[in-house]
Amino acid sequence: MLDNKPDQIAVYELSFEKPDEAKSKAQPDITDESLRAPLLAANAKWFCNLRWIVISILLAYEIFGQSESILSFLGLSAPGVWVLVTVLILTVENTFFLLYTRKVSDPAKTMANLWGQIVVDIMVLTAVIHVVGSLETAIAFTYLFHIVLACVFLTRIQSLIVTILAGTMYCGCVMSEHFLEILTPTTIFIHSSENLTNLSQPDVIAWKLFMANGVWLVVWYLASRLSSMVRERDIELAETNRRLAAAQEERTRHMLTTTHELKSPFAAIHANAQLLVDGYCGELPDEAMNVAKKITARCQRLTTEIQEMLQLANLSSSSQRQNNWTRLDCAVVLHWCISQVESIARKREITITTDIQPFTVAAVEDHLKMLFVNLIANAVRYSHQNGQVRVTSRVEPTGQAVVTISDQGIGIPPDKLPKIFDEHYRTNEAVRHNKESSGLGLAIVKQVAQMHNIKIQVRSQVGRGTTFKLFMSEALKKTATHGLTNKDS
Amino acid sequence: MAYLLIVDDDDDFCAATAVVLRKFGHEVQTESSPEKALARMENRLPDLVLLDVMFPEDDSAGHKLARHMRCSSEKLKNIPLIMLTALKSDSPLGFIDCGTNDPDLPAVYFLEKPIEFNTLISKINSLLA
Repeated sequence: MLDNKPDQIAVYELSFEKPDEAKSKAQPDITDESLRAPLLAANAKWFCNLRWIVISILLAYEIFGQSESILSFLGLSAPGVWVLVTVLILTVENTFFLLYTRKVSDPAKTMANLWGQIVVDIMVLTAVIHVVGSLETAIAFTYLFHIVLACVFLTRIQSLIVTILAGTMYCGCVMSEHFLEILTPTTIFIHSSENLTNLSQPDVIAWKLFMANGVWLVVWYLASRLSSMVRERDIELAETNRRLAAAQEERTRHMLTTTHELKSPFAAIHANAQLLVDGYCGELPDEAMNVAKKITARCQRLTTEIQEMLQLANLSSSSQRQNNWTRLDCAVVLHWCISQVESIARKREITITTDIQPFTVAAVEDHLKMLFVNLIANAVRYSHQNGQVRVTSRVEPTGQAVVTISDQGIGIPPDKLPKIFDEHYRTNEAVRHNKESSGLGLAIVKQVAQMHNIKIQVRSQVGRGTTFKLFMSEALKKTATHGLTNKDS
Repeated sequence: MAYLLIVDDDDDFCAATAVVLRKFGHEVQTESSPEKALARMENRLPDLVLLDVMFPEDDSAGHKLARHMRCSSEKLKNIPLIMLTALKSDSPLGFIDCGTNDPDLPAVYFLEKPIEFNTLISKINSLLA
C-alpha cells in the first residue's frame, strides 16, 4: 500500500519477466519427487499385497507336498523345512512392512520401507533359489520381477543398484555351491538330484552367470529407459495440466470482469432512459417517449446478448474436468427453470403445464439450467398468445430418461431444422414473431447437450408447434459410475 | 421517508437512482467506494444500503463491505442491505458467480443490473416496512 503524503515520491517499476520466470516464482515446481511421493506409498502397499501371493504358492507347495502321489506326478521332491521357514520369514516381513506403510507417510521413510522390502526379498529369494536349484532351474530369473519393478518405481541409479545386488547375490550363491563348496547344491526335482555337483564345468558355469547377469542388465537398461521416458512425460503432462488450470482460472476471471464492464454502462443507460420513460424528468412529447422506450428495450436486449455470448464462449472452451459435476434431481432443476420463465409466459398469457417425474442426473447444475431455461423460454417466445407450453419428464421402461418441452407455436420449416442449433441462426418466421432474440440460445443448448451426452430430437410442424425431446440416458449412466456429490438444487 | 445510502462507482447510475428514490421522498446519499461509504456510515447510520459488488480496485469490495457490516460491526449489522450486481448467480453464466450464494453474506436482496426502478422501489418498501 502506498503512503499518500504530498511530499513523498512514490516509485514503481514495471518489469517484464519472461512468462516462465514469473510462473516459477508464483507456482511450486512440479518435480519427479513431488509426483512420486504419493505413488511410493501406494507401491509399498502393493509390494506387500504381491508378497501374499508368493506366500500362498509356497503354502500350497507345502500342503500338496504332503501327498506323495502328487509329488511323484509333478516330479518334485518333498518340501523341506525351508518352505515353512520361508513362509514364516515372508509373513513376518510382510506384516511388519504393511504396518510400517500404514503408519508412515513421510516420503523418505516410505523409500526406506521400499528398500527394506527389496533387500529382504532378494536375500530370501537367493535362499529359495539355492534350495530350488540355482543352475538347474530357471528360478533365478524371478530376480527380473524385482529389477523391473525397481525400474518402474525407483530412479535409474536406484534400480541399477537393485540389479547389481540381485546379480551379486546370485553369483555368490552359485559360487558358494560350485567353486567355494560352502553350500551343497540342491534341487526340488526328483530325477536330477544325484549329480548336481558335476552339473557343469567351471567355464560353463561362468558363462551361465555371465549370460544371466547380461540379461538382467539389458532388461534393466530397457525397462529403466522406458520408465524414465514415461516419467518425464508424466511431469510434462502435470505441468501442462497446471498451466491449463491457471489459464482457465484467468479466463473465468476475465469473463466475469468483461461481463461486469459491458453490463455496467448499459445499466446506467437503462437507468437514465427509465427516468425519461417514467416521467421523472417531466412530461415528454410522444416521439421522444418512443425513442426513450426503444433505448430501454435495446439496453435490456444487449444485456441479454452479452450474457449469452459469454455463456457460449465459456461453454465452448471449458473442459469436463474443470466443471463441477454433481448429482441433481432433474425435477427440481426443471421446476426452477420454469419459475424463471413464468413472468414472460404470464405477459404473453401462455400457460405452462407440467408432468414432471423426478429422476437423478449427473450434470453441471449451471449448465443444465441454461439448457432447460433456453428451451422453455424459446417455447414460450415462439408460442402464439394464449398458447400452451408443456414440460414433461419421465424414465422409460428401458431406463432412458426423457425430458420433453413442446409448444403450439409458429413451428420450424423442415428445411431449416438442421440449422437451428447454429450460432446466430434465426429463421425469418422466428424474426418476424420475436425480434428480441440473439439466436444464441439453441447454440448454448447444443454445447450443453454435447458436454452431457444428451441426445436431442426436434419435431416441428409449421403453424402447429415444436417439440424438443431430450434423451438423458448417458447422464444417468454417469450417475451410477462416477463418485459424484449429491446436490439439492 | 428514510435515509438511504447508494454505494456504486458508476456516477450516472447513482445519480439516476438517487433521482427516483428522492421522488419517493427518501433522503439519498451516494458514495463511489466502500471505504468512503464506511466512513459515512460511522457518522450517520443509514436506514438501508444499496451496494454494488465490483469496484475498480477490487472485484469483491462490495462483498467485503457487506461481510464487514454483517459480521464485524455491531453498529452496522442490522442495516438492511440490497446488493446490486451485473453478475447475478440466478442467471447461470456457466462459470463461477461472484459469491452471491455465499451463506456468510446474508444480504437481503440481490438485484441484477440493469434494474427496473419499480422492482427496486418495491424491494426497498418491503425492507423498510
